[in-house]
Order: sequence, then C-alpha cells, then structure tokens
Amino acid sequence: MDKQTEFVLRTIEERDIRFVRLWFTDVLGTLKSVAVAPAELEGAFAEGLGFDGSAIEGFARVYESDMLAKPDPATFAILPWRSESPGVARMFCDILMPDGSPSYADPRYVLKRTLSRAADMGFTFYTHPEVEFYLLRNQPDEGPPEPIDRYGYFDNSPQSVGYDFRRQAITMLEAMGISVEFSHHEGGPGQQEIDLRYADALTTADNLMTFRTVVKEVAIEQGVYATFMPKPFRDAPGSGMHTHVSLFEGDRNAFFEAGAPFQLSKIARSFIAGVLTHAPEITAVTNQWVNSYKRLAGGAEAPAMICWGHNNRSALVRVPMYKPAKGNSTRVEFRSLDSACNPYLAFAVILAAGLAGIERGYELPPGAEDDVWALTPAERRALGMRPLPASLNQAIQEMERSELVAEALGEHVFDFFLRNKQSEWEDYRRQVSQWEIDRYLPTL
Amino acid sequence: MSEQRAATQVGQFARRGFAHPADAAEAWARLPGLDTESVLEALSHAADPDQALAFLVRLADADRSGLAAALADGDEARALTAVLGMSEALGEHLVRHPERVGALGGISVEPPGRDAHRRELLAAVGADPASDAPIARADGAADRLRIAYRDALLGTAVRDLVHGVRIDDTAAELADLADAALEAALAIARSELPADAAPCRLAVIAMGKCGGRELNYVSDVDVIFVAEAVDGADESAALATATRLATTLMRVCGEPTAEGSLWQVDAALRPEGKQGALVRTLASHVGYYERWAKTWEFQALLKARPAAGDTALGAAYADAVAPFVWAAADRDDFVVDVQRMRQRVEDHIPAKEADRQLKLGRGGLRDVEFAVQLLQLVHGRSDVLLRSPTTLSALEALSTWGYVGREDGATLAAAYRFLRSLEHRIQLQSLRRTHVVPDDEADLRRIGRSLGFRTDPVAELTDEWRRHAREVRRIHEKLFYRPLLQAVARLDAGDARLTPEAARERLEALGYTDPQGALRHLESLTSGVSRRAAIQRTLLPVLLGWFADGPDPDAALLGFRRMSDDLGSTPWYLRLLRDESAAAERMARILSSSRYATDLLLRSPDAVSLLADDAELQPRTRQQLMVEALGALQRHDDADGVAGAVRALRRRELFRVAAADLLGLLDTEATMVALTDIADATVAGGLAAAMRAVAQGLPTGELPTRFAVVGMGRFGGAELGYSSDVDVVFVHDPLPGAEDKAASDAAMAIANELRRLLTAPSPDPPLEIDADLRPEGRQGPLVRSLASYAAYYERWSSPWEAQALLRARPVAGDADLGEAFTSLIDPLRWPDGGITDDALREMRRLKARMESERLPRGADPTLHTKQGRGGLADVEWVAQLLQLQHAYDVPPLRTTSTLGALQGAVDAGLLDPRDEEMVVSAWLLASRMRNAVMLARGVPSDSVPTSARDLAAVAYVLGYDAGGDLLEDYRRTTRRARGVVERVFYG
Repeated sequence: MDKQTEFVLRTIEERDIRFVRLWFTDVLGTLKSVAVAPAELEGAFAEGLGFDGSAIEGFARVYESDMLAKPDPATFAILPWRSESPGVARMFCDILMPDGSPSYADPRYVLKRTLSRAADMGFTFYTHPEVEFYLLRNQPDEGPPEPIDRYGYFDNSPQSVGYDFRRQAITMLEAMGISVEFSHHEGGPGQQEIDLRYADALTTADNLMTFRTVVKEVAIEQGVYATFMPKPFRDAPGSGMHTHVSLFEGDRNAFFEAGAPFQLSKIARSFIAGVLTHAPEITAVTNQWVNSYKRLAGGAEAPAMICWGHNNRSALVRVPMYKPAKGNSTRVEFRSLDSACNPYLAFAVILAAGLAGIERGYELPPGAEDDVWALTPAERRALGMRPLPASLNQAIQEMERSELVAEALGEHVFDFFLRNKQSEWEDYRRQVSQWEIDRYLPTL
Repeated sequence: MSEQRAATQVGQFARRGFAHPADAAEAWARLPGLDTESVLEALSHAADPDQALAFLVRLADADRSGLAAALADGDEARALTAVLGMSEALGEHLVRHPERVGALGGISVEPPGRDAHRRELLAAVGADPASDAPIARADGAADRLRIAYRDALLGTAVRDLVHGVRIDDTAAELADLADAALEAALAIARSELPADAAPCRLAVIAMGKCGGRELNYVSDVDVIFVAEAVDGADESAALATATRLATTLMRVCGEPTAEGSLWQVDAALRPEGKQGALVRTLASHVGYYERWAKTWEFQALLKARPAAGDTALGAAYADAVAPFVWAAADRDDFVVDVQRMRQRVEDHIPAKEADRQLKLGRGGLRDVEFAVQLLQLVHGRSDVLLRSPTTLSALEALSTWGYVGREDGATLAAAYRFLRSLEHRIQLQSLRRTHVVPDDEADLRRIGRSLGFRTDPVAELTDEWRRHAREVRRIHEKLFYRPLLQAVARLDAGDARLTPEAARERLEALGYTDPQGALRHLESLTSGVSRRAAIQRTLLPVLLGWFADGPDPDAALLGFRRMSDDLGSTPWYLRLLRDESAAAERMARILSSSRYATDLLLRSPDAVSLLADDAELQPRTRQQLMVEALGALQRHDDADGVAGAVRALRRRELFRVAAADLLGLLDTEATMVALTDIADATVAGGLAAAMRAVAQGLPTGELPTRFAVVGMGRFGGAELGYSSDVDVVFVHDPLPGAEDKAASDAAMAIANELRRLLTAPSPDPPLEIDADLRPEGRQGPLVRSLASYAAYYERWSSPWEAQALLRARPVAGDADLGEAFTSLIDPLRWPDGGITDDALREMRRLKARMESERLPRGADPTLHTKQGRGGLADVEWVAQLLQLQHAYDVPPLRTTSTLGALQGAVDAGLLDPRDEEMVVSAWLLASRMRNAVMLARGVPSDSVPTSARDLAAVAYVLGYDAGGDLLEDYRRTTRRARGVVERVFYG
C-alpha cells in the first residue's frame, strides 16, 4: 500500500468519515457519484469497485457493462458542505475494464492519454480556467430565470448575495485544496467569475468538476440557483470559460523565449497555429451544447472568428500582456470554451491540436490587431479569418471528418459523442421556439 | 653471442609461453642488466608475455633506473608484468607516466576503500576532501583526475590479476572508484560555476551497475541527479545551478582530453528519460514515481544508491524511493509489464554479433540481472531478506531462502561470475566498453591465459564460456519455474523450498489467474517415479514459461495435462517434446492462445507431431488434398466410410493451417486460400461418395444425370475463414435420353446425401453446406437443371442475383457442366454496358436497408465485422459494384476474388489507390478478426468480442499488446474504410 493510500485510510479513521463518495465523469461531463462505506474502501483501492457501465452516458453498451471504478488516493478531500459529523469525503476514480486495463470510455483516461503523448514529447500541460456562471433567484421550474442582482463587471456589491456567495464558495474550495486566484462580479446581472489557479491539466479538470459541485451546493445553502448554462439570457453575456494554457519542459516554460516577438517561443507559435488550424473540428467538444452557439454568436468577448491577437479580447486565442521577469508565466488564452464543457475532453482536444501544430511545424499566421467584431465580413475574409462553426450541427460535421479528434478522444468516445450530439441536434430542430411564436403567429 | 645460444634462447622463450619467441629474444637483448631469471619468470606468468616484454623495453627507454628498482623486487616485478601483459591501455599509461611504476610495489590484497579513493581523487584535483562541497583548485584538473583515476585503477588491476580477488570485490572496488571520480568531477564542476551562481544542494545517485556496486572496468555510469535549494533560497535559481553542475560533471567524465576520458555518465534513467529535466527536486522525483512511473523504472530504482555530492540529500532520496520499489509488484499493470520486460530482453539481440555477445540477448548477463531483479520485486515486498541491490548477493539470498533451487542458484552464480570475469578481461586490454568476445586468436589466448587456462588457452576458454552460457540460457526455467515444481513435487527433502504462499505469489506474477489449480495440475503431472513424471519434471519448467507468454496460461496447462493423459504412455510423444524443443514451444503457444486449435488437437493428439517440422506446417496443395480425398473412395466401400476419411483429413488439415496461422507462418490471404482448398477437397470427396451411393441405389447402377457443385460467396471467392459455412448452388444436366423426373430425383438425392455425409454427427467437425443463394432462395428447388437455370435467369433475374453470381466458381463434380453453368451466367454478372441507373439505385437502396435491418438488435455497428460500418459487406459491395459496372470491358474485373477485383479496379483507373488501400486494410482486418475470434474462443462471432478476457485473447492472436488498442485500431481502420464506401458506393 502506498503512502497516499495509507494517509487516506488513516484520515478516514481520524476524522470520523462515515461515507466516501467516489466521483467520475461521464462522456458529456456530468459528475457521477457512488457512496461507499469506509470498510469497502480498501477493496476499492486494491481492485476497484464494480458497477454497471451501461447505466452511464457513453460508457458501455449492455453486453460489456461490467466496469470498475478505482479511486485515485491523490484526489482525496473532505467535503466541506456537510458540516455536521459524520463527515463525507470524496475521491476521483479512474474507470477500468474488468481486467484492470483502463477504459477507453473514461474521459479522465482520454485526457491522460493525450497528456502522456505530450509527456513523450517532453511536455507537461498546464491550464488555468476562468469560470463564469449565473446566480438566479429562482429554481429552473419556477418560471423565467431571474438574476439575483443588476450589478455589472467588477462592481463592488457589498452585502449582496453574490458577494457572500463568492466568499463562501471560495472558502469551501480552499478547504478542499483548490486554490482560487481571483473572483469578481462579471458583466451580466447576477453573473460571477471565479478563476482557479493554474495547475496541470488533469488536476485542473478534476478541480473543475469539484468546482461545479461546490458552486451548486453553496447556491442551495443560500437559497439561490447557480447555472453554468452557456447562454441563459438573450441580452446578457454568456458564461464562458476562458482558459490559459502553457506547456512546460521540466521546470521551464516552453512557451517563453526571451527576446522573441511577444516573448513567444517557436513551440508556443506552433501550438497556437495548431489550435487555430484545428479549431473548427474541436469546437463540438469545446462547445458541446446547442445553447453554446448562442453564446458564440453574441459578440463582445465571445470569439466567433478563428484568429489570434496580442492582448486582443475579441480573438479566439489571446496572448496576454507579458510581465517582465516572469518567463514561467508565459501562456496563451483559449477563449471559445464554455463553462458547461467536459473539461477532460476539452483539454484533451485543445492539447492535441496544439501538439499537432508542434509536430507538423505549422506556421503562425499574422495576429489580428483590431477588434474582430468591428470588421466587416469582407474585411475578415480579406484577412483570411475563418469563422468557428455557427451551430452544433456545423460543428458536428467538422468533427466527423477529423482524424485529430478521433485520435485524441479514441474511437469509442468519438463515436458515442457524435451519435449523442447528432440526436441532440435532431431533437432541437424539431422545436418551435417562443421567438417563432412571437414573430410569426401574429402575421402568418 | 653464438647462433646456437640464440637458438636455445628462442626455444626457452617458446617454452615460457611467448607467442613470438624470436621477437622476444630480440627484445630481451635490449634489456641488458634487467634480464634476470626472476624477471623472465614473472613475464612467463603474464597473460601476454610478448606484450609485457614489449612494454618493458619501452619503459626501460623512458626511465631505466625506476624500472630497474621495480623489477628488483619479485612481487613488484610480478605485478608490473601482469598489468603490462593484460592491459595495453594501462601499459600506455605507465609509459606516459613512468614515475608511477614504483607505486605497483606495495599494493595490498585489501582495497583502500571508498573513502581513501575519494580522498585521493579529490586531492589530485586540488580539492579539500574534508569539505562538504569540495571545489577543485588545481589547473588542468580534468587531466589530473584521469591520471589519478588510472593510477588507482592500476591497484584494482593488480588485485584482480595478481592477488586473484573475487569478481564481486573487483566490481565493488570499481564502483567505489567511480563514486570517487564522480565526486572529483563534481568538485571540478563547482570550480567552473560563475561567481554569482545561486547556491544549491546536489546529490548524485548511482543507478544500474554502479548503484549495485557491480561495475565493469568500463561501462557507462548510470546516474540520477537530485537537487534542492539551500534553505529559504529560490528554487528555480538553485535548480539552474544544479543543472549546470550536472552538465559539467557529465562533460568532465566523458569528454576526451589529452589523457583520454573516464567513461560516459548516462542520466537516461531519470524520470521521463532523456526528455525529462536533468535535475529535479526530491519532491518532484517522488511526485513522478507516485503518478507516472512504469514498472521497469521501479526495477531500476532497486539499485539507486547515493554516490556523490550532498550526503544528507542523497540519503533522503534513497529513503524516499525505497518504498516505491517494494510496492511495484502491487501495481495493476505489473504482470503485463513483467511479461513485456521479459520479452524485451530477448528482442534486443544485435544480429551480427549475437553469438559472441556476453551482455544482451537470451542468456546474456543482462538477462541474469533482469531475472534476479524480477524475483526480488515479486518476493521482496514480503521478504526483506531479498532486498540486496547486488546481483550475486541477491541470487545467493534467493537461493538460501528457497526461492531458487540451491543447485540452480550455485550453477547460475558460477556462470555469472565466469562471464563477468571474462567481460572484465576483455575490457582491460584497451579499457574500452565492449561486451563482445573477440574472435582474434591472440586476444583469446591472452584472455584465456589470464583466466588460468594455460595448456590450450583458446580452446579451453571457448569451451568454458560456451558451457556457462548454456546454463545461463536456461535462466528462466531455473529461476522462475523449477522452484514451482520443487514446491509441489517434494523431491529433495531438506532443502529450503518455495512455500505454497510464495508459489502462488509467483504464479500470479507470471500471469496464472488460478494459481491453486495450476499447482494441482503441476502436482499431478510431476508426482510419482514413472519415467513420464520424470520427463515432465524436466519439461515443465520450460513449458510453464512458454504458457505464461500467452494470454491463457491456465488453459494451456490444463490442455497439456489432458494431452499427457492421452499420450503420456506413447513413447514418441514425450520424446518429441523433449528432443524437438521447437515442437514443444509451438505446442505451448497453441495451447495458451487457441481453443479452436486446442480442440482439434485434443481430438487427435498425435497431430502434435506436425509441429516438429516446418515443412509439415506448409498447407497441402489443392492437388494433394484432392488426390487424398478422392483416394478414400478406393479404400472404403460405403459412403459413410468415405465421408469419415474425408472429414478426418479435413480435421488434420484444419489443425495444420490453424497452427501455421497461429505461429505466424501464414498470412491472411494464404490462410483463406488454404482453408478454401480444404473445403474444395472435402466437398469433392463427399460428392464423389454421395454420387456413388446414389448410383448404387438405382436399378441401372448408373446416374441418369451429370452433377456439379458451384461455390458462391466467400467460398466462390476462395476467401474462407475458420468459421465460414460454404455457400453453394447445385446444378445437374440430364444425360441424353434420360427421363427428366428420374434425373432430377437422382440429383436431389445426391445433394441431400452430400449434406448428410458432411454434417452427420461425428468426432470431426461438420462442414455446413448452405444453398440459400439459389434462385428463389429457400422457396426454390434445392437442385435445378442447367436448362431450368437458363429459363429462370431469362425471365426473372434481379440485380441482386446478378451480384451474387459474381462469385460463382465451379468447385466439384462434372467440370464441363460447371463450365456450361458459368458460360450461362457470365452475361448476367458482367452485363454488357454495365448496369442501368435503375439497377444502381436499387442496389444502393438494398444495401442501405440491409445496413439497418441485417445488424442484430443491440449490436455495435462499429464492431460488427460483417454488416458493420466499414466491415466485410461494405467493402465487398464496393468491389461488386465496380465489377457490375465495368467487368464487361475490363477483363481483370472478371474474378470471384474481392481483393482481385479491387486491384483490377485500381489498375484500370476506376479506384483511387489510396481508397483501395483503406478498404483493403479494413477488409483484411475484419477477415483476420473473424479468424482470430474463432481461433481464440473456438466459437464464431460476427462481432469483435468486448469481454475483457476474450478481447485479450483475440488481441494476442492478432499481435496487439492490449485489447483496448485492438478496438481502437479496428474502429479507426473501419471508420476510414466507411468514408471510402460512402463516396465510392453511395456516390
């Protein structure tokens, strides 16, 4: 038994933990949880806990349903929101086949595989997400959503629900060992942003799954509702998850090169070129819902054109202002992601696109100097900017043709994901929206 | 001097072991005053007296009085000549530094020890040995280090050559000396740091042979660097300094200067290998081993030992990583990794010097070291007595505590010692890193003499080397498997032996999932005093290893037990396995990987004799098979007798093909052809028997009609797999004057009799005949006359039927009739001008409907080999569409073969070669998959299996490492093929 496992078992004893929640994530990014008593835990560490994979979205068909969830002791944390004793803790699990080999259906393994490809090239992948979400006064079944306040970007909102909310959410996150870098009121009414500190991509993805749960839990405690829906209001900005990414070679930032333009190394430039080249085909993963595309159509800070810019907030990829003497903080910001993505899969495809750029030595096109939204379509065309897919349907079609995404997700997840999204789109196409009623019924 | 005296002297040199006595006499003459009897005596003991004498002459030229003083002392003369006669490199060193000759006098049996070496080398580079972080102050420190290192090496060589210390002690001293050199190189590196370099703590951890204190005279020294900031200082600046130190250290040791170089320092065992950071903090090392490291990396850590630099940090590192080593065997992938590591050892044999290699390849030194380490990892977690980092000590512990048989342990240790000594002596001559036994006579003579072979050094050395190498080549059976037998067989009482618990532990590590059952089988196979039990006791250690290489060792052991129960008393069986080890290995591979072949084999175990001979594993030609099948008619009067003989023939041939396929002797296409030939012969033999039986039942004794069997589908295309039924249509043609009704009754009787004969219950597998592709399917008559076919096709034929006819091939029966049938259908299947737009649309629609309807409910379309996405049907329809469209004017398309048609389409420019490649790889993969499923599981399936066990077994047959990889590859290959199908077929 390794030290970490011993630590977990000891802590459970000392802290009087009565239940341990084993967490894993389905292919669409929904957190799944199964509670075990501490007595069962040792067995789960050794052999994994059997469960029926066919009951989980995207995991398995009925005939291959036996799967194992094997907790990763390094992810052990006590859940802070169940304040009363007995306590409850959680761990993330890897999903294994009955023979103990990793399951290709496990999003965590998808990311691990891509990370190990990066590791073979000598890289570690770090990410730093800025998560936006809305706080609503009412529950989803209580009529049209009402934001908790009317404040705007960076507004100091003393004694507001939002202020308390952020304070409590951050306290809980920190209690679970998840460092928060920054938090503030975002542009939309009731919209919040919390930035997680940068960490390796697997840890970040685990943290994001925890983060969503914590935010939902705190909202319940405070009698409000938190949503990561990409675009809940027509007239207010959507909830994105701008993510800063960087590659390290050992302890050195591989994106940094002193004296290069924007201090960007050749590796960084090829990485960006890779992300731009493959942007259309990875969009179905980074923006996986019908609703995601309403955010991308919204203008302002949501990127819809494939380009990059230095400190340009309307570009798909932004290279932030370089801070002298901080070579290790060189990074690029990927801006199309939204808060409702599956972070494991999304990080995997972004990394795969970037690595493709490095492996194949893509050249970085010139950066966009201007506000992309201010350009006319003809100007954009002249500058060689392609648009991101405008709908889930377009994104699916781009993805279907992509060897890169098939490679990164693995054939199993690739196939399931496409089928699931196709059926989501089919379902959506049959809807008659309020907009259509309002617009057509009176005149037609 | 007179001629006669010179001649006598030459003879004397010859008697003293000089290889070139005349030259020696001449050289001797150049040493006036030094040419005493005692010097000559000392020379005669040298490994290469000629070389030693030549060096003496050069030393005399350099510093005569110093040499005279050295030679005056008998011990010193002996030491000097021993070194000069064994090592050209050390001789050159002395010639360059003649003042060192005197130092050879007082060399004791006891080595000075690690600390003394360290003090000496640090002093040589002008560093203070008492300092915690000594800095080299001397000019030309790198040269000084080399000189001092060689001086110390002189001492080691004398202890080795003259005092005869054991190989382990020499190897340990070489490691101590390497530690000292690393320390001195670090001191030099410190002296080269810029003044403003941030302070850091750096420890050099020795790995590999240096870590195990079992170093060679010259080999790469494996290290890992670990560094920390000095309390409170900036970590990244400290790491920068440490990286600089490490780089300089490696350069100082490896770079050639005027004084040569020491050895290469290799840091590739660090986390992430050559891609990883050269220097990491302790926490970063630990983090890596917690999350990412592979089993072999833990195996490497077994030897980690602080060698130089910061002592406290080195010790902290050793403490931190030790627990990982002993937890390695608990890791999920341990068994699989171990299996791969065992195979990797054997894969790395450099072909050109394979038979003179001491280190790599099966039975090499590396193999011994690996095998010992694996046993340490398996048993060392529960038994702390096994945790020595040194191979020989570990081997001794394993044998003392019963994990390895005492005698085997001793033999192996002796062999290892000998081979290591041989390696040392080879390296000493030029101090060059080599593990190849030279083939030059003079070299062999020198080395042989140095190892004490004086009468016929070359032959004696070679014999001894081959003898030990033979022992080592059987390392796995000795170390891994034989102790398992001792655990159950209870033969040599008194010896420590593997406890049942340890035996189970080991069987599990070797991949046996039911160790209890395995032990029971072993007990039954080996207990008793019969000759059979005795032979099996010697066979099993080897077989167990081969079984463990396959996906199902448990089934293999059970299969072997059943084979032995059947054949054990047959004299040739055990002899075959014992004497023809290729046959035994092949049998083991088949038993552990294929239920299909195992079933065929167990039905008639004597087929195992086929495995002894490569020629026997070549499929029989169609001609040979036909002769044998039809010959059965002469030997048997009744139809059932003929059918029995034909079906036994088929069973034997199926085993032959399955075995050749499993052993990698047949590719997919050859397998399909061979299986089709077998089916052709079976049908031909069965048909002949049926025709004779029906004729005999008629009053006239003569058949009123001619009869032919036409193969359809994959049978017609000569593309059969192990699980294929044979698709046929039957055609007959009444003889002139025969009555129609009588003719068709006879034909019907023949068809029914044929099917009965080939499927009647029997120990031999049935051959199912499927005639559903006939006109009107199951509703139509089973047999039609040629005229009836003509009438039918004239009136009805649908595009679908024309498509099916593309693969029609006369298989058996009346050849003229078969030809008449094909002439009848040629205009249908190769329609003039291609097919109409209507027919094309109809065909596409039919295919689209089949895709949704033919797939069984719940089947995964990405894994269905027949109807699934990019599966067999997809590809075949592409080929058939191209044939229907173009065969009328592209003759190469007039073939029943799918691959042939696709190739023809490419040649005619009808299909893009890249598209062809994609559909062909999918078609071949799906075909191989179907075959592999049948071979592995013994029952057919249209889907790639998804249960872990079956999938692993199929993956093994197909040569994939893991089932998941196979699924990925299958889905990817077929997805790409489907893309082609969408474009080419659906347009």
